[in-house]
Amino acid sequence: MFAMRADSILRAALLPARAPRAGQAFGEDLHRLGRFTLPGSSMTFRDWPRAGTLCGSTTLGLGPRARPRTSDSQERPRGRAAGARGPALGWRRGRAGRGRWGGACGGRGRAGAAAPPAERRAGAAPARRSPGQSVSAVAVALTVACGRLWRRRRLPGLAEVSGPPLACGRVEQPRTGTRRRDGAAEAAACARSPSSSPPAPGRLRTPGSPRAAAERTAGDGEIAARERPADCIARVMDFTLCLTQRSRMVDSKRMRMTSNFQWPLLTFILLYLMNQVNSQKKGAPHDLKCITNNLQVWDCSWKAPSGAGHGTFYEVCIENGSYSCYPSEKTNIKIPALSPGDHEVVISPLRDFGSSISKFILSEKNVSLIPDTPEILNLSADFPTSTLHLKWSDRGSVLPRHSNVIWEIKILRKKNMEIVKSVTHNTTLNGKDTVHHWSWTSDMPLECATHYVGIRCYVDDTHFSGHKEWSDWSQLKNVSWSPDSQTKVFPQDKVILVGSDVIVCCVTRDNVSSAQIGLTKCPLIHLDGKNVAIKIHNISVSASSGTNVVFTTEDNIYGTVLFAGYPPDIPQKLNCETYDLKEIVCSWNPGRPTALVGPRVTSYTLFESFSGKNVRFKRTEASTNESHQLFFQMLPNQEIYNFTLNAHNPLGQSESMILVNITEKVYPHSPTSVKVKDVNSTAVTLSWRLPGNFAKIKFLCQIEINKTNSIQELRNVTIKGVENSSYLVAVDKLNPYTIYTFRIRCSTETFWKWSKWSNEKQYLTTEAIPSKGPDTWREWSSDGKNLIIYWKPLPVNEANGKILSYNVSCSSDEETQSLSEIPDPQHKAELQLDKNDYIISVVAKNSVGSSPPSKIASMEIPNDDLKIEQAVGMGNGIPLTWNYDPNMTCDYVIKWCNSSRSEPCLMDWKKVPSNSTATVIESDQFRPGVRYHFFLYGCRNQGYQLLRSIIGYIEELAPIVAPNFTVEDTSADSILVKWEDIPVEELRGFLRGYLFYFEKGERDTSKMRSLESGRSDVKVKNITDISQKTLRIADLQGKTSYHLVLRAYTDGGMGPEKSMFVVTKENSVGLIIAILIPVAVAIIVGVVTSILCYRKREWIKETFYPDIPNPENCKALQFQKSVCQGNSTLKTLEMNPCTPNSVEVLETRSIVPKIEDTEIISPVAEHLEDSSDAEPENHVVVSYCPPVIEEEIANPGLDEGGGTSQVIYIDIQSMYQPQAKPEEEQENDAVGGAGYKPQMHLPVTSTVEDLAADDDLEKTAGYRPQANVNTWNLVSPDSPRSTDSNSEIVSFGSPCSINSRQFLIPPKDEDSPKSNGGGWSFTNFFQNKPND
Amino acid sequence: MAATVTQQPQKLVLLTGDSWGMLACLCTVLWHLPAVPALNRTGDPGPGPSIQKTYDLTRYLEHQLRSLAGTYLNYLGPPFNEPDFNPPRLGAETLPRATVNLDVWQNLSDKLRLTQNYEAYSHLLCYLRGLNRQAATAELRRSLAHFCTSLQGLLGSIAGVMAALGYPLPQPLPGTEPTWSPDPAHSDFLQKMDDFWLLKELQTWLWRSAKDFNRLKKKMQPPAAAVTLRLEAHGF
Repeated sequence: MFAMRADSILRAALLPARAPRAGQAFGEDLHRLGRFTLPGSSMTFRDWPRAGTLCGSTTLGLGPRARPRTSDSQERPRGRAAGARGPALGWRRGRAGRGRWGGACGGRGRAGAAAPPAERRAGAAPARRSPGQSVSAVAVALTVACGRLWRRRRLPGLAEVSGPPLACGRVEQPRTGTRRRDGAAEAAACARSPSSSPPAPGRLRTPGSPRAAAERTAGDGEIAARERPADCIARVMDFTLCLTQRSRMVDSKRMRMTSNFQWPLLTFILLYLMNQVNSQKKGAPHDLKCITNNLQVWDCSWKAPSGAGHGTFYEVCIENGSYSCYPSEKTNIKIPALSPGDHEVVISPLRDFGSSISKFILSEKNVSLIPDTPEILNLSADFPTSTLHLKWSDRGSVLPRHSNVIWEIKILRKKNMEIVKSVTHNTTLNGKDTVHHWSWTSDMPLECATHYVGIRCYVDDTHFSGHKEWSDWSQLKNVSWSPDSQTKVFPQDKVILVGSDVIVCCVTRDNVSSAQIGLTKCPLIHLDGKNVAIKIHNISVSASSGTNVVFTTEDNIYGTVLFAGYPPDIPQKLNCETYDLKEIVCSWNPGRPTALVGPRVTSYTLFESFSGKNVRFKRTEASTNESHQLFFQMLPNQEIYNFTLNAHNPLGQSESMILVNITEKVYPHSPTSVKVKDVNSTAVTLSWRLPGNFAKIKFLCQIEINKTNSIQELRNVTIKGVENSSYLVAVDKLNPYTIYTFRIRCSTETFWKWSKWSNEKQYLTTEAIPSKGPDTWREWSSDGKNLIIYWKPLPVNEANGKILSYNVSCSSDEETQSLSEIPDPQHKAELQLDKNDYIISVVAKNSVGSSPPSKIASMEIPNDDLKIEQAVGMGNGIPLTWNYDPNMTCDYVIKWCNSSRSEPCLMDWKKVPSNSTATVIESDQFRPGVRYHFFLYGCRNQGYQLLRSIIGYIEELAPIVAPNFTVEDTSADSILVKWEDIPVEELRGFLRGYLFYFEKGERDTSKMRSLESGRSDVKVKNITDISQKTLRIADLQGKTSYHLVLRAYTDGGMGPEKSMFVVTKENSVGLIIAILIPVAVAIIVGVVTSILCYRKREWIKETFYPDIPNPENCKALQFQKSVCQGNSTLKTLEMNPCTPNSVEVLETRSIVPKIEDTEIISPVAEHLEDSSDAEPENHVVVSYCPPVIEEEIANPGLDEGGGTSQVIYIDIQSMYQPQAKPEEEQENDAVGGAGYKPQMHLPVTSTVEDLAADDDLEKTAGYRPQANVNTWNLVSPDSPRSTDSNSEIVSFGSPCSINSRQFLIPPKDEDSPKSNGGGWSFTNFFQNKPND
Repeated sequence: MAATVTQQPQKLVLLTGDSWGMLACLCTVLWHLPAVPALNRTGDPGPGPSIQKTYDLTRYLEHQLRSLAGTYLNYLGPPFNEPDFNPPRLGAETLPRATVNLDVWQNLSDKLRLTQNYEAYSHLLCYLRGLNRQAATAELRRSLAHFCTSLQGLLGSIAGVMAALGYPLPQPLPGTEPTWSPDPAHSDFLQKMDDFWLLKELQTWLWRSAKDFNRLKKKMQPPAAAVTLRLEAHGF
């Protein structure tokens, strides 16, 4: 980098000062030339718009387009060739030219145009350079001229220059041999493959780096070239060779176009020569640039003046405070870093007289800091983990301390070097050579393809004001896996996180046809060679045996197993406690299943940080969600434990912690070996074992005490923990001779958890002396000589043991009697006493001793004014109340017995304190419907006085028997009934009355069974006076049977009934009169009648016994005979032609509209209406006479209007009115009356008629109930009659059928008229009658 | 059989009442004792029942293996449980092959046939136990253990038949004892392939054994009708 001020340049050298103008002029020349370019020639201009200058490379006859144009298509303008026409489009055309070059060389013309600018520029450079190197000296000359012109032009304003200088400056590189070409650019130029070229520095730069812009702005061609790696020289050579070949081809062509090229060629030669002359005149060192790689030494170089020989020496003088000069044989010099500020540098070429001195102003700002190319010390690969380890030195010793260094590392894959990763890594220099490490894990197993790594650096020194640039890329290092002969699939047996993407490859020498993961086929990604890979996205959880990935070749399959799972979840609910203070049990929940089993299962380590001890847990089973446990042996004298539970599997680890004071986390085992030992009758000792070393803690134990039929009792005891596990505690306040059930549970005093309850232990406490004497009562025996002492057995809580016997003693002032050792089940004793006052005492004894005596006096205080009261119980007991009596000093006693028992009767008694006035007597012995007798005694002065006597029921019931009643007396109008009492046992309640029913009735009448008061004929009498035992029923009828019923009732309900039948006595006088009067009357009548009969005997004979004529002479009989013979002409019977009959009109006019075919309304029907008007009663019932009607129908005209009786045929079903057609009817008559053919039986009828008269079939159409005959015929083709018969013939049924509501006639009826010789007769009529 | 042989001479002894004769008879009995298996072989019941039992056991194992293989191949996952999965037998070289040329099989002697069966099942049993040890689920382990027990029974049964026929049991050569140890270099996939082949070979062996024993049975029991009847009765 160098800088020159325009004024200094003007001072230093004249020629450079004029350079811009000259450049412009030259450019204009070129433009002009371009305008006149002949077809077939190719000119490439480069007019960089930003620079505002022209820099072009002109090639003649080199473009591939040139040839076609020269040879055969000169006149045809081509799209691309048009670009060469004017300078205005020069730069654009330049690009096109490069494109063509690319096409010639790499065979892919368009690729060049698509390449980034850097490449394009690079592509242009060789295009211009190649002629100089190979054949076209003219082109080279022009190019060089262009370069010079450009260079001179740009000297004054170096900083502004951006793109074009880069292109131009490169032209010099091959000539000087000191500059290296951009490897990437070379590759692009030759191969023209944008994808294969490593990116230009700008592209690899990390985003946001300020260098990107700086580098390009400052973009001086030399510096850019310097940045390219040295290893690209080889590519340059390739490129050169390529160009040479191209040029050769062009040469052969050029021979043909020589004539066309003569003129421009000469022009160019002239220009070249002029340029040469110019340079001879203007020779001076130029292009001073300084770089540094360590900030201490600047390496400055410059361009030798053109024409300077190899032996030129230079003297470089720098003004840096002092003025020091350095001689140099080369065009570069190393100088120590100058102080900040501008310094004048004068380079004077020695021994070269044609050259002049150059002066430059140099400051640190113009110096580029380009670090040395880093070198990779080591690149190693860890194949199982697909990790690359990179090692390099920062060479910090050559650079000042504390500079920040940015390292850019790129990773390329496969032989075609696809960039897969580019990262930056920042370090700081520390003045020493430091080796840095960097690791990278590949998403693709390293075995699958070769991986390359390159590195470069950028020193970001804050104190350096100059331009900082990236170093060159280091030499690429690679790692590759040397496959053995076997095909393998990578990664092998890898554990991966669910949901991640994974690449699986098959390193093989066979053709892989398909790949699948599980059941899913995957598309193949082809790698180097025949290796293939598949990419699995978002892998799902594996089964316990893993997910199989299989590659199939022609004759084999290869595969690997992937284990997709999860890292271990944080152990949940971690809890540590101890059962015995010897061992700590930590339990936890593993949380989410990892889906990894076997060797990949989560292993747990429990680490205790204070002691540094740990225990491991590993289970190969598939981890279920159940709790896990680990046992940790407790350490002596350690109470506080800090546990860390670490869960680890191949995918990661997690941990949870717990800090416990273990003495507070004691969960004791359940106590065992519970034993009970008695201390006395009310206290025992309980002992149990609780394994563990609890010497330092105290227990809180709960003792549950269960007594039969009693609520359980919990007692808490605190016990000091012991080492030997035995615990003993005393339990007191127990009852003697009681079965207790004990069980125990314990926890520590600092409560954590109760242990489980121990097993139950039953124990019977020992006996004690009975605490009270038995409850006693005494009764005098029925004869009053003996006193019977009763006592009740002691309740368990008072007996305190098993009562063995009782002692009874009675004492008076004078004597003492005693009965001892009465064995237990006996609870009464009889003493023969006189009527003195005695005190009787009863003592119960058990094995321990005797109870205190219970005493009772024998004395009974009489009470006169006693009456028996009634009481009914409520619920289970009978309430008794009495008035308070202050005289009663002892207590009250209520004794009761079943009232039906004989005296002395005692079921039980109850003692009530003397201050109470009420009690409820309850006893299990009480039964409903049983009468009990209660006696209330009051105690006064040791003597008992009967206060009240009560009978009562616990519950009243209905009587179970009816009162037994008899009839005492009956009269003609009354009955006297008498009944007896019901016994108390059967009454089952207090009798409330009787119900007496009576009614008339015989013994066996069924309706007597039920006697309800609701019935009106039953008379009821309710007898509520229970002392009444008779009843007279009056107002009865004499000699009548009465039914009498009697039933008793209590509050519990009605008793059963008892019934009796009684006949009242008859009234005898009335009876006699009733007999005598009719007899007398009968006799009188008989006598009178006899007399009369005798007198009028002749008249009687005439009247009652006339002469009977001979029936053979009866004319009436003769007439009937002739009718039967069918004599139609007889008119003698006209006056009484027949038995009037009635026809019931079933359907009146109103129903007519129901006819399907409403048009068919019979005129006869209308006629009927008319006639019915005349005879109103006939509209419903019409008398008719069948023979007459027959005649009338046959001759309608004769009797029209005259006939009073009109037969109307109505078919109920079809409402078919008989539309009489005389001719047809006559036909019917002639046949002899086809009669009525029931609609339903038409086929049957037809068969019958077939048999009867086959010949007549055609004529007797039979009955056609349907309105439309044609329809009928069509509908029933199987009826031969219907089809055969003339459809016009309609016959109507017999009038007899009118009465037949069903309109059905058995076939016989139809035959009968025929057999009878015509018409219908009464026979028909009668035969039809049953059909009504 | 041995009992019947000894009883007859005793009766003879009682009849004769001669102590020398008794001694002679005892000697005869002792002399004949080693020949008892030979007698058995020619005798009517002979090894037939045990061969039948072995055959039945083979068929039972075949049936048992069918469900076990289904479970296990499902455990291995696709593509192992696909019905048309038929990978080349690359690994699993140590597994005894059941496939054999028909002519070769027909030309095998009974002894060789039985020996091959015995050897094959000893190997397979050993591998199967290894399979059991590495199975990940408890249920799979249970069914594998059950099958191993059954296979052990079959092995004992074959040994019984061999003993009945008077063939010596094959002694494993020292050093060739099949030991199952998972090869550390063996990938899980290859291990799965081995497992697959183990089950497949086991099945083929069971088929072959059924055929072997059927043939042997026919040879030992001339009345063929009875044999077929039994076969039908036991047809799995």
